Amino acid sequence: MFGLIGHLTSLPHAQSVAQQLGFDEYASHDLEFWCMAPPQAVDEITITSITGQVIHGQYVESCFLPEMLAQGKFKTAMRKVLNAMALVQKRGIDITALGGFSSIIFENFNLERLLNVRDITLDIRRFTTGNTHTAYILCQQVEQGAALHGIDLADATIAVVGATGDIGSAVCRWIADRLSPKELLLVARDQERLENLRQELGFGKIAITEEALPKADIIVWVASMNQGMSIDPATLRNPCLLIDGGYPKNMSGSIIGEGIHVLDGGMVEHSLDIDWKIMSFLNVPNPARQFFACFAESMLLEFEGLHCNFSWGRNYITPDKMEQIGALSRKHGFRPLLTQAATAEV
Amino acid sequence: MNIPETAIDYTSASYRDAFSRINAIVVEGEREACANYLSIATMLPDHAENLKKLSAMESRHLKGFQSCARNLAVIPDDAFARAYFGDLDNNFQKAAAAGDIVTCMVIQALIIECFAIAAYNIYIPVADPFAKKITEGVIKDEYLHLNFGQQWLKEHFEEVRERIMQANAENLPIVWRMLQVVEADTVPLRMDKEAIVEDFLIAYGEALSDIGFSTRDVMRMSARGLAAAPH
Repeated sequence: MFGLIGHLTSLPHAQSVAQQLGFDEYASHDLEFWCMAPPQAVDEITITSITGQVIHGQYVESCFLPEMLAQGKFKTAMRKVLNAMALVQKRGIDITALGGFSSIIFENFNLERLLNVRDITLDIRRFTTGNTHTAYILCQQVEQGAALHGIDLADATIAVVGATGDIGSAVCRWIADRLSPKELLLVARDQERLENLRQELGFGKIAITEEALPKADIIVWVASMNQGMSIDPATLRNPCLLIDGGYPKNMSGSIIGEGIHVLDGGMVEHSLDIDWKIMSFLNVPNPARQFFACFAESMLLEFEGLHCNFSWGRNYITPDKMEQIGALSRKHGFRPLLTQAATAEV
Repeated sequence: MNIPETAIDYTSASYRDAFSRINAIVVEGEREACANYLSIATMLPDHAENLKKLSAMESRHLKGFQSCARNLAVIPDDAFARAYFGDLDNNFQKAAAAGDIVTCMVIQALIIECFAIAAYNIYIPVADPFAKKITEGVIKDEYLHLNFGQQWLKEHFEEVRERIMQANAENLPIVWRMLQVVEADTVPLRMDKEAIVEDFLIAYGEALSDIGFSTRDVMRMSARGLAAAPH
């Protein structure tokens, strides 16, 4: 059994989903109520691999909302993640992906020191951030998206914004190791981490956003929100492949211009329909097949009986591990989402 | 990112003042639990022996928590605590007089036990070392008590389902009001009210779900109680 821990993108989104699901009591309440609401296992999932193997999973809504971070309710955010993890462990779920902000909160607030939750001790081997698969899919979107839009990788400049994060650094490693573009621009806030990354890669150039974006044929945006994004489409190249791997995804509505191709980064498409309800609330054209690669990682690990924290901690993702999860991804029928992102309503 | 916090001064006047009420509530809760399990024992003779054991455990908890007050040289505000439990206790006594075992079980073995579990879980990380040790010992027992009520209601689920829902609707709002009354006192103790409610809903939801209610029922039952709470 695999698990997915997810959350909704805003209070209005959460209220509308609660209403659509028929949970009127949740729909009518404000943020204070969501701060007290316990995690809920709200969906059962069945997914079939193209090999014919069938597995089952559960979706746990943590009741975390990004407004909690925006309002400085850090303890609440931490509690939401820990309580959701405790719930999946109590339900005996073997491997669970921490979706959306869940893994970021776990990492940034050092939740590793708070593993005793009530009467259970969290076993972190049962959880994965899913970041290795997300990074692999982002890199496939770079490679396949470039080919699709007539961008020659050998002659391309790629900018990675959020380069020093867990996913960003993995993408940079893959690009440096496997793609050898003309130029790799590394953009992030922390200069020391950036310098360390550049030294590790032995490739690439540190740049600031304003300088990097106009030069880039391909932009991989993996910075999470609150990182002050403002992109003027007029300054971008034509063609420009913009892979929006940030969270929440909000670029497709705002960055429109000739030759600008926006992809929902880190999203996969499965070859077969998945039996689930919760994903219909995602803003994708085909929610029966399209969803987050991090969630898919827990499915891949379940298909293979690899009940371990395949992706964990910060900056441990190697190209070899990406290749390993990529092989499983292809084996079971997942592929990177390459269709132009829908206009988001975040 | 770590969130720095100053150490708690367990000897400060504000801490001890708040503790005089919170500790009294805990002691009164254990005292009533001790009596309530004996009442339920008279209604369920087949389980009387087990219920008497649970009652005796509550009596031990009571003494443990009294020692926590002595340790901080605090005099518990017993009158406040008795009034605090008044509404819930009245409902229990009325149900007991009417032989309504289901309502007695919901009040004592579900609601009060889950409330105690939640409050103790949130208290343990911020308790003084003496009280921490006592509370850690107590909470293990409380899970057993919750389990007793849970098991009994589960075994009779089909015939008691409606009665549980009614008892929930009548009594859960009282719990939210009780929490409201002590909100100010939880601040010097560094007990987060929001966390207590969430912990309660987790324990209560798990119990209701094990008893046989669907996720939808559980969400509705617990949220309805919350919606009735004054803000």
